[in-house]
Amino acid sequence: MNMTTSEDFKGYREPLISMMKAFGITVWSEVVARTTQGEFEGLVLPRSETADPLHLVLKLSSGYNIGLRHDTIEELSKFGYRKASYKIPEKEFPKDPGKPRVKLFGTGGTIASRLDYRTGAVIPAFSPGELYGSVPELAEVCNLETEKLFGVFSENMGPEQYLILAEEIGKAIRDGYDGVVVGHGTDTMHHTAAVLSFMVQDSPVPIVMVGSQRSSDRPSSDAAQNLINAAWTAAHGPIAEVMVCMFGPTSDRYNLLHRGTRVRKMHSSYRSTFRTLGDIPLAMVEQGKLTPLKEDFKPRREDREVTIQACFDERVTILYYYPNMQADIIDALVEKGYRGIIIAGTGLGHVNRTVYPALERAAAQGVQLYMTLQTLWGFVQMYVYETGREILELGVVPLANMLPEAAFMKLSWALGLHPDDPQAVRTLMTTPIAGEMTPREPHDGYLVFQGGIPEMKDFLGKTWS
Amino acid sequence: MNNHENQPLAAPRAPADHNPRLDTPLDFPDRDFGELTPDDYDVLGFMSGLEVHQQLLTTSKLFCRCPAGQKASRVDAEVLRHMRPTLSELGEYDGTALMEFKTHKEIVYRLDRNTVCTYEIDDTPPFLIDLEAVKIAIEACRLMNVKLVSELHVMRKQYLDGSIPTGFQRTAMVAVKGELPFRTSELGADQTLRVRQVSLEEDSCREVSDIGHRITYQPDRLGIPLIETVTEPDLLTPLDVQAGGRLLAQAVRATGKVRRGAGAARQDVNVSIAGGRRVEIKGVGNHRRLPQLVHIEAYRQLNLLRIKAELERRGVTPELFEIPDAGRHRTPPWVQTPLVIDARRILRRSNYPPVREALEQKQMVCAVRLPGFRHILAHRTQPGITFAREIRGRVRVIACLESRPFMIHSDVEDYGLAASVWRQLRAALRTDSSDAIVVLWGSEVDAGTAAREVLARAAESLIGIPAETRQSYPDGTTGFERILPGPDRMYPDTDTPPLPIEDQWIAEIDSRLPETPWAREDRLQALGLDVVATRRLAASPWATLFDEIVAEDREALGVAGLQRVAAALEKRLPYFWRQAGTRSLPAPRVLTPIVQAMARGELHPDGLEPAIDFALRHTEAESTEYLAGRLKSEPVEKELESLLQLAAENLVGVHTREAQAVLRWGMGQVMPALSGRIDPCDVRSKLIFKLGLAI
Ligand SMILES: [Zn+2]
Repeated sequence: MNMTTSEDFKGYREPLISMMKAFGITVWSEVVARTTQGEFEGLVLPRSETADPLHLVLKLSSGYNIGLRHDTIEELSKFGYRKASYKIPEKEFPKDPGKPRVKLFGTGGTIASRLDYRTGAVIPAFSPGELYGSVPELAEVCNLETEKLFGVFSENMGPEQYLILAEEIGKAIRDGYDGVVVGHGTDTMHHTAAVLSFMVQDSPVPIVMVGSQRSSDRPSSDAAQNLINAAWTAAHGPIAEVMVCMFGPTSDRYNLLHRGTRVRKMHSSYRSTFRTLGDIPLAMVEQGKLTPLKEDFKPRREDREVTIQACFDERVTILYYYPNMQADIIDALVEKGYRGIIIAGTGLGHVNRTVYPALERAAAQGVQLYMTLQTLWGFVQMYVYETGREILELGVVPLANMLPEAAFMKLSWALGLHPDDPQAVRTLMTTPIAGEMTPREPHDGYLVFQGGIPEMKDFLGKTWS
Repeated sequence: MNNHENQPLAAPRAPADHNPRLDTPLDFPDRDFGELTPDDYDVLGFMSGLEVHQQLLTTSKLFCRCPAGQKASRVDAEVLRHMRPTLSELGEYDGTALMEFKTHKEIVYRLDRNTVCTYEIDDTPPFLIDLEAVKIAIEACRLMNVKLVSELHVMRKQYLDGSIPTGFQRTAMVAVKGELPFRTSELGADQTLRVRQVSLEEDSCREVSDIGHRITYQPDRLGIPLIETVTEPDLLTPLDVQAGGRLLAQAVRATGKVRRGAGAARQDVNVSIAGGRRVEIKGVGNHRRLPQLVHIEAYRQLNLLRIKAELERRGVTPELFEIPDAGRHRTPPWVQTPLVIDARRILRRSNYPPVREALEQKQMVCAVRLPGFRHILAHRTQPGITFAREIRGRVRVIACLESRPFMIHSDVEDYGLAASVWRQLRAALRTDSSDAIVVLWGSEVDAGTAAREVLARAAESLIGIPAETRQSYPDGTTGFERILPGPDRMYPDTDTPPLPIEDQWIAEIDSRLPETPWAREDRLQALGLDVVATRRLAASPWATLFDEIVAEDREALGVAGLQRVAAALEKRLPYFWRQAGTRSLPAPRVLTPIVQAMARGELHPDGLEPAIDFALRHTEAESTEYLAGRLKSEPVEKELESLLQLAAENLVGVHTREAQAVLRWGMGQVMPALSGRIDPCDVRSKLIFKLGLAI
């Protein structure tokens, strides 16, 4: 092999590429490295692009990887070549005419995966056969068909993907599927859940979003439980809404179904990161059993009619208020052509007087202004204090207990739907259509427990037993 | 003599799971431990290696900032998890078993907020690796003279038993390949023990209980940094395993920056014989137990290989035990294969209490046919343990059967079931005279798993030694612990960046490297101390203290004086520790004056031990005063004279006239005040004369 390609030195930079060339080795060569520290024997692995350029990575026969610094290496002699190539064992997904049909859309996050044990690279499992190979329980739940729509990370999901996803969900419903599952990265899952709640209306079947907080290549992963419960909810569940299906507690117990407009990711890494805010979750789901917690959900229907309104105006932003905010921020947004601003205000929905003139100018230019809360829980109440009343007069519209992210998605959608009708947008914004605003907050819609107090200790000791 | 030519010369490419020799001496006589010579073990192809896990003395844990070494004292919360085998490591091993393991085991962690954070319960990704631990590990590697890598790569080593909530242990290779001088080998003082590798890893949870389908862990220990030191299988006799264990324990402690006490150092031993494969015995606490343990394991392997040979002679093949479509683990085996039957009808009138009870509780009772296994189940594999128990141990772990007993078999027909019932079972299972039957009971799911596992283990009899880890019992026998994970269980940790080892760290560590026990031994022997005492001293925790307190007076003390100091420390320190419940060493300046006084001839050598003992229990000032009292300038003879006079006067009050008793009394009167300043023999003869004793 005289021709070398960049794959042969994958991830390596100078000075190592020259050194590897000088000794006639490439990635996947089996080598004995003679160094100032002693001899090491192993397989040359690709180098992570983000690591320094100074070390050669070897996999030892024990399975361990080590790095050897270039200036300690005296000689590399090649005695073999073993290229890693991993394929997921596919098993045909068993079809059972007695079971519901479920469509699983992939957006890019890994739902199930297998690990390339040499490089650590995660190879996503997605086809029904691959999924069956890794989560065989799915075959006991439904007949699963999959479609990969795009391959983007959660943080790169955007309008382009939302529109396609909404249309494809509509198609799947009209094609007669009994439920839809959307695999999604968790970081922006609640954003997508919110926008789908507006774009896909009156669905006759469940639309269930699912992901994992611990990747599925780990024995402790939450992925399989999430996927099984999501598939079960889509196939058999009675709730025909856009929902997020993720861990309830951090223990492997049950999943919660959260309404798409009321759910939020609340912890960077906990399994039980998704919470319903200002209300209680729709249901608990566990091993083929779904227990509704709320009664006012939209029930599953036999027809396959659905309204898809896939529109999105990208000129909308969230303005997170902070003390001493200056008016020029808002002026700049208006100047840049933003057509809608969701303010996340303090307390009951307040901003300081300094920005009043800018808000007034924005409203005069036809920019839609809405008030939500950075407290996340509670209602915007602009009549209580004078500040609030003043802000109302500037043309800022309160959005009750709509979450800022849900409000952002709703305004983007509404402006897309009625680009030339500000009043229609305003009406739409202030009319709840998917539970994004609720008339009342139940007493247990706000529960952020404090650790350390005796009753919490009792509770935490009993959560699973 | 020793089969060195049969051992691989360099580290083999793949982990050496199989013994390099295939010539199992099947006819080798059965002998107890102590009855075999090194040559006998050579015939057996006995090989053993050790893995020592030593916790490091750091402030925090390895991947989070929780305190290391703090014990849980309360339960603030409990978390429940399951482990799910990920895909590719299933390949070579019994995937079904791992699947069952997952399906049936609930894993509970008890959290004490003072000892764990969200990292331990796998709800937060790892923080950067603790540099204090990395530097101690490097120091240990420098002392053991193994070859350092230049960049640490954190790997994940999979464990599905729940002992680590992530399902894997984070571990990094620090160094490979080195040699320790193995002077205590029974094969000669020129032996060496090769170290294969040293890795730095996080400790796992402590198991609290394992009952049925629930295993409970205490994660306070989880995440404490430890070094794992692995040797090559260079230990060729059971006594060498013990000696090697001691050597390795010293080696990994040589930095002094390690944790001591229960659980801080744990060792695993692996054993194989010709034709066998490496079996790992976990958590052997005491070096003294090692020889018996590995001897029994060697014979267990021999017996399993005898069973294999016998089964092969009978024409039994692994295919006979296969269940068609075994992947469908939810279909009960009694539906899938004629090898298993639902035996509830046949046993419905059984008087055997465990079976009757199972039936009353509506449990499943099934029977498994093992083709060609007649009398094999009763074959002895360990002292007092039959092959049936080998199967039973594994079934209990994997199927989580709770009742005791949960299985009987046809090799003991006169027990449990009536002969007529066995006949009915034989008929229903269509056995012939060479088959054995195993009857199992438990919940329907568990009994199904158990039946599958019995067949799987029976099939593995034809492999010989299954790849498994075993736990040791106090009597030297072992029991199944878990199936050995596959070689692919190691993969890179994508949550942590590689860590280059800086030259400056190494230079700094090298500049203050403590002396190794073997170097110290050489140095002390050069002083003229005897071999055995030197070895003990060099390996002792007070070796450095010894060096410090004799430093100034080595010449004056001479060999005899040095021996006395060494012996005094060896006697008084452990005694004091036991009484005081500590393991703290006194400051050298406390003991140095005592040693100096002896070196100058001011303190009689007999006074050394009492003075050291006093110093250990009192303040420095009190000790100084005590020593001054022992070194009175007044001629000792004069004081002795007055004490003898006093004793003679007090003699009238003594009740006995028996000469020896009187002498003992007299010594008690005189000696305490003179201790350390005079030879007791002198006192004795003077007392005899003074008191006019007939001795
Ligand atoms: Zn922690």
